[in-house]
Amino acid sequence: MYETALSLRNRTYAMFVELGRAPTADELAARAGVSRPEVVALWRGLHDAHALVLDPSGELRMANPFSAVPTAYRVHAAGRWWYANCAWDAFGICAALGADGRIETSCPDCGEALTLEVRDQRPEDSEAMFHCLVPASRWWEDIVYT
Amino acid sequence: MNLFRSEEHIRNWLGSRAPGATLTAAKLCDLAHAWWSDRLSPEWTPHSREHNQGLLDGLGLTGEFWRLS
Repeated sequence: MYETALSLRNRTYAMFVELGRAPTADELAARAGVSRPEVVALWRGLHDAHALVLDPSGELRMANPFSAVPTAYRVHAAGRWWYANCAWDAFGICAALGADGRIETSCPDCGEALTLEVRDQRPEDSEAMFHCLVPASRWWEDIVYT
Repeated sequence: MNLFRSEEHIRNWLGSRAPGATLTAAKLCDLAHAWWSDRLSPEWTPHSREHNQGLLDGLGLTGEFWRLS
């Protein structure tokens, strides 16, 4: 990953947190003082390097652990609601922001609401368990499914 | 990668499918902090595969299931 791409990646993440949502390619281009095609090309390289994930239109789908689209994992942290890509990323949002948080989701088996509070980097006592179905070697075969 | 109410709910959800890996919420939180805590640093640089494997190993997440490609 060369310096320009890395700089754009870091600017993308900073803008995501500033806005509380994913920046569009146009917004990032205006902020970075580059053209939209340059942003799209650099994002594509970052996508290929697994540094972020684009949707089919070329806009952001994931700036892991943040999701650019609504998901089953909502996290309240640092004064805002965020969407996480999965349970791991839900805790990851608290970790990335360096903040306590509240994770809201529902059990995929029974549909009952599940809420976990994270305080001082620890989850409250809970019987909740995490399951990862896909082995690590295959996570990036279909990262949205993973 | 989902949270369930308990291990029983994981078994119900899996049905006849082969299970993957199950962790407590506390272990998942440890993993998340190891994996994501530097993600917003202005000095962030990409993690190598070896770095990430070391994070998993350090948390006792070893064996074929946790072997990165």
